[in-house]
Amino acid sequence: DLLQWPQISKCRSPEMETFSCFWTAGNLYNLTVPRILQLLYKKSNEEDWKECPDYITSGQNSCYFNASYTSVWTPYCVQLASKTEVYDKKCFSVDEIVLPDPPVHLNWTLLNTSQTGIHGDIQVRWDPPPTADVRKGWITLEYELQYKEVNETKWKELKPRLSTMVPLYSLKTARDYEIRIRSRQRTSEKFGEFSEILYVSFSQIGIGCNHCTEEVEFPWFLVVVFGVCGLAVTVISIMLSKQPRLKMLIFPPVPVPKIKGIDPDLLKKGKLDEVNSILACHDSYKTQLYSDDLWVEFIELDIEDPDEKNRASDTDRLLSEDHLKSHNCLGAKDDDSGRASCCEPDIPETDFSASDTCDTTSDSDQLKKATEKEEDLLCLDRQDNDESLPRLASRDPQHQHRSTQSENSHLWAPSGDSAEPPLPSVHTRISNQNSLTNTDFYAQVSDITPAGRVVLSPGQKSKLGRAQHEGCTEQNFTMDNTYFCEADVKKCIAVISHEENEPHVQEQGYNEDGYFTTESLTTTVTNLGASTAAPPSSELPVADYTSIHIVQSPQGLVLNATALPVPDKEFNVSCGYVSTDQLNKILP
Amino acid sequence: GLLLVALLVSHMLLIKEGVTSMPICPNVSGNCQLPLEELFDRAVKLSRYIHFLASEMFNEFDERYAQGRGFIEKAVNSCHTASLATPEDKEQAQQIHHEDLLNLILGVLRSWNDPLIHLASEVQRIKEAPETILWKAVEIEEQNKRLLEGMEKIVGRVHSGEVDNDIYTPWDGLPSLQLADEDSRLFAFYNLLHCLRRDSHKIDNYLKVLKCRLIHDNNC
Repeated sequence: DLLQWPQISKCRSPEMETFSCFWTAGNLYNLTVPRILQLLYKKSNEEDWKECPDYITSGQNSCYFNASYTSVWTPYCVQLASKTEVYDKKCFSVDEIVLPDPPVHLNWTLLNTSQTGIHGDIQVRWDPPPTADVRKGWITLEYELQYKEVNETKWKELKPRLSTMVPLYSLKTARDYEIRIRSRQRTSEKFGEFSEILYVSFSQIGIGCNHCTEEVEFPWFLVVVFGVCGLAVTVISIMLSKQPRLKMLIFPPVPVPKIKGIDPDLLKKGKLDEVNSILACHDSYKTQLYSDDLWVEFIELDIEDPDEKNRASDTDRLLSEDHLKSHNCLGAKDDDSGRASCCEPDIPETDFSASDTCDTTSDSDQLKKATEKEEDLLCLDRQDNDESLPRLASRDPQHQHRSTQSENSHLWAPSGDSAEPPLPSVHTRISNQNSLTNTDFYAQVSDITPAGRVVLSPGQKSKLGRAQHEGCTEQNFTMDNTYFCEADVKKCIAVISHEENEPHVQEQGYNEDGYFTTESLTTTVTNLGASTAAPPSSELPVADYTSIHIVQSPQGLVLNATALPVPDKEFNVSCGYVSTDQLNKILP
Repeated sequence: GLLLVALLVSHMLLIKEGVTSMPICPNVSGNCQLPLEELFDRAVKLSRYIHFLASEMFNEFDERYAQGRGFIEKAVNSCHTASLATPEDKEQAQQIHHEDLLNLILGVLRSWNDPLIHLASEVQRIKEAPETILWKAVEIEEQNKRLLEGMEKIVGRVHSGEVDNDIYTPWDGLPSLQLADEDSRLFAFYNLLHCLRRDSHKIDNYLKVLKCRLIHDNNC
């Protein structure tokens, strides 16, 4: 048996004029002897505890405070105690504990019956509890009526209302009903006790229709069953129908995740031309997406670097990291007006999705892979659109720069070839300057590691070394290519710079290994002096570009580094670029 | 332009036939006044609404901030209107003269003007005060003003003599609402809201008593 302390169970005022408190004695030793437990009370403005004035009127274990002891809005505290200790304490004010008595004198009258005599309406009336002084407006009561059929278990409730009468509509005359009502003070939440139950029986007043035919209840069950069957039949017939339109209308095809314009199977085993056309599609999409203005917006100058400040050229800006970051992976191409637009206009979503996936992986890795892949592909095979190539090339140093930043020597490690001496110099040069001006714009991809990293060989350096010593005599650049390779330009630049003798005028960035747009070439006075790196002494005839041997997966290209012999004499190789036709001649 | 002309013509025609709109005020004497019963009805409605808002606001505040802090035990609850000699039970309410009762009601309403304004502004500073409490505070302040206006109208109608404007208690509880200690500050709010609930209940009750006494002759 659990020990139960004496407790004040509740204090209640039925009419806001008197109140009573009730308690339980608990099973603590022999407290049933009367007058051991006392109820003491205190008004808020008093000091002393007084004893209960009336233990009898409200019954056992209760204390009754009549009207003279009751002040409605004054806080009281009551305390249940024996001579030695206090068991319980409660504080309240009388207006908070109002719980009215139940209404009295419930009765009902018939209003009317339906034509069939099956249903009837009644009016229920009652009187407010006699203790509550509603007449003088001292207390305002709300009533809630509940009713149910005699053999039901759940009561139906009506909304609380102020009036003391309420109609009940559409009761079944064949059944008997029970009604009960309770009341509460209008401004409080708690209801008082329920009244006595009122029994409603139509047969008593002679209109009960016990033998009336019951209305057939709506056959809900049948409706549901037939509805479901019909729906199933419709669905099946639609699915099996040959009408594609109807099918599309009702069952629109769920799009499978894929990149529009790119068929993954094609990438796996497609031919070069097709693959290029696919990627070109992406490019042309990019042209739509990025206008020139946007292009410029992405360009940011790295002002912290004094060198770079001087070289605030378009090329530099194009090469800046922010530019690359602003593009997503596959779409990391510039806007290129030269490419044929062959794509549907709804490529945007795929581009974004591609970028999303790219963003999740390491940015630099993806960018490197993507740009390398693409520019190699494009440079090799689409030399018709030469305008793009300068810009493509511009990304190379960016890419390489990033690679050196993040991967250090890993990417620069040649595939077992020599050409080691130039590496440190290149490396240090790059690490010294923030700008990308001293990195290779183009490099031969010697290998692709299984991890997807591209291994480059610094073939250009050797070329540069050679080129620098030549004069800029050759003005007739191959005009099929509207871009120029570095070697040629450097010849010119070398001549120019020596003539004009200006070390550091940088309107556009001249990079030692840089490449130039057509415009830049005409306006640039470049500084050859900056490029006084130790020219690589080795003159390895490293092929700068190779063909794509196999396209293994969307993320990998295996380049055939030695597949391409470069017969210098067969075509004009002032540049390391090979046009498509030339390439075709070479390829078996 | 054509429409205006048409309206004008139709209006003139109607006036010619003697069709005019009904005057809004039912008082034929020309003094467009609402009957006293209507005024009391509206006053009772307002006071009930104010008490409802105050009750809800107190309950929400209690639930949200007062749990476990033992405010109810500490609450001695001396409200700033305690000095006003308002009737404390039915006997007193029945015996007091209706003019005095009206003046007391006005006094209580006036005394709450200031605290309600500050309540509306200070309650916003409570940390993470629920939106419901905030708008209730603003609403109560507004409705209290309206009730005050209505009561002044009623008093003007009912009073034979001059209106007593002296019944008023100033409120000095603003500093306690701005205390730095959060516990003390919340207790001050608790007290204020408790007093507001109580006083709004008082006003509501007194108005109903007056209405039943004056309008329905003690037979509501």
